[in-house]
Amino acid sequence: MASVLASAHPQETVYGQVGDATVPLRFSSLDEEYKVLRERAAVLDLGGHGLIEITGPDAVAFAQRVLARDVEYLTSDRCMMTLLLDADGQVVDQVLAFGREDGILLESSCGAGARLLAHLRANNDEGVEIADRSGDLTVLGLEGPYAWGVVGRLIDGELASLPFESVVDTTWNGADIVFARTGFTGEYGYQMIVPIEHAADLWRQSLEHAQAAGQEALELAMLEVRQPIPRHEVTEGATVVEIGANWLVDVTKDEFVGREAVLAAFEAGGGRRTVGFSGGDGVPAPGTRVWVNGQDIGEVVHAVHSVGLGATLGLARVDHDLAAAGLELTVGGTEVTTLTSPYIVPKSWSIPII
Amino acid sequence: MTIDELRARAAERQQTCSQIKKMIVSRLDLEIDPDWITDDQPLFGRGLELDSLDVLELYVAIEAEFGVALYDSEMAVFGSVSRLAEEVNPALRA
Repeated sequence: MASVLASAHPQETVYGQVGDATVPLRFSSLDEEYKVLRERAAVLDLGGHGLIEITGPDAVAFAQRVLARDVEYLTSDRCMMTLLLDADGQVVDQVLAFGREDGILLESSCGAGARLLAHLRANNDEGVEIADRSGDLTVLGLEGPYAWGVVGRLIDGELASLPFESVVDTTWNGADIVFARTGFTGEYGYQMIVPIEHAADLWRQSLEHAQAAGQEALELAMLEVRQPIPRHEVTEGATVVEIGANWLVDVTKDEFVGREAVLAAFEAGGGRRTVGFSGGDGVPAPGTRVWVNGQDIGEVVHAVHSVGLGATLGLARVDHDLAAAGLELTVGGTEVTTLTSPYIVPKSWSIPII
Repeated sequence: MTIDELRARAAERQQTCSQIKKMIVSRLDLEIDPDWITDDQPLFGRGLELDSLDVLELYVAIEAEFGVALYDSEMAVFGSVSRLAEEVNPALRA
């Protein structure tokens, strides 16, 4: 699935395949786009996120059963991030769930729309309507310490200071759009769900106030604040607890697909946990072993070069009794130090919206 | 450092984190097992979804439980439980 905004992207855009989506990895350079995201305001083409609408009399009951957080009272002015699990407690996807007047709208993680759709259809015991809206709607994001200013210039300044995870149905240039205060990177973040025929205009107008950033810069900034990136962190057999995505699951909820398996893994204890690390010259590949004095204690899950740290930044899944910050470990043949999250403090935490 | 020394060091941090999690759950009347909170998860906005009123409650609770006043600290100290642990137990930074 190519981006509906491809014709509006600059010629030098570098694309990559992420799951079922072809997404812009970078428009210029990672360093430049990262700095825009962390220091100013970035426009994001989130067209790789699938949009699936669930409607019908039992839409909320269905969503309540398949989503791992409580959406029973998710009104049309709210959204929340949560997981979908299979019966074994394995992560199917991480979604943004938007309350809608006639049901729920789910936004998949990047490149996971088809998998999410198949999972929903396979679990549709309630006989709800499940419609893939990715063909007529797309998602644009604004993210950065001054993204709030772009919202003011682009749509309405009042929307910039909405509480986190608030949603407003509004219009832009005569088009109905869904506007939400969200964010993946710890910076001020907003999303606009827009009809595809208006998307290119909104993209171009956004670029008058901000600069485009691609998937590479976005994922780096997500990693730096320990925002889960499912395509990197959900590995075969890893439980929610091992991934460290507990906060996307509400275990006080009575029932949802995968609940028993998640609780069993939690109560069993032991196993491995995920911890950040930095150090070394190169970027270790996923699966690179992690050692302490010749003893294998785990493996690298995901690693990149962090522009903000000026060093390698990665996640390792290691024995639970060694999953803590401030330890010297060996990754491959290189010494690294485990870190305390967030690995970069977002600038937005010290900048008020004015 | 031997693996046992590393485990001891990790245990010290995990113990401080565990104390903080229990304090958060107790002071804010959360209905979750304190251990369900991870050391690295965000506390405000995303994650535990605490708000500014919760912060005020936590300032008081931290001073009462750990004898550390964080009133003038930047929000970054609440970036995660593990980050907060370094504020209330500076030995963890060594």
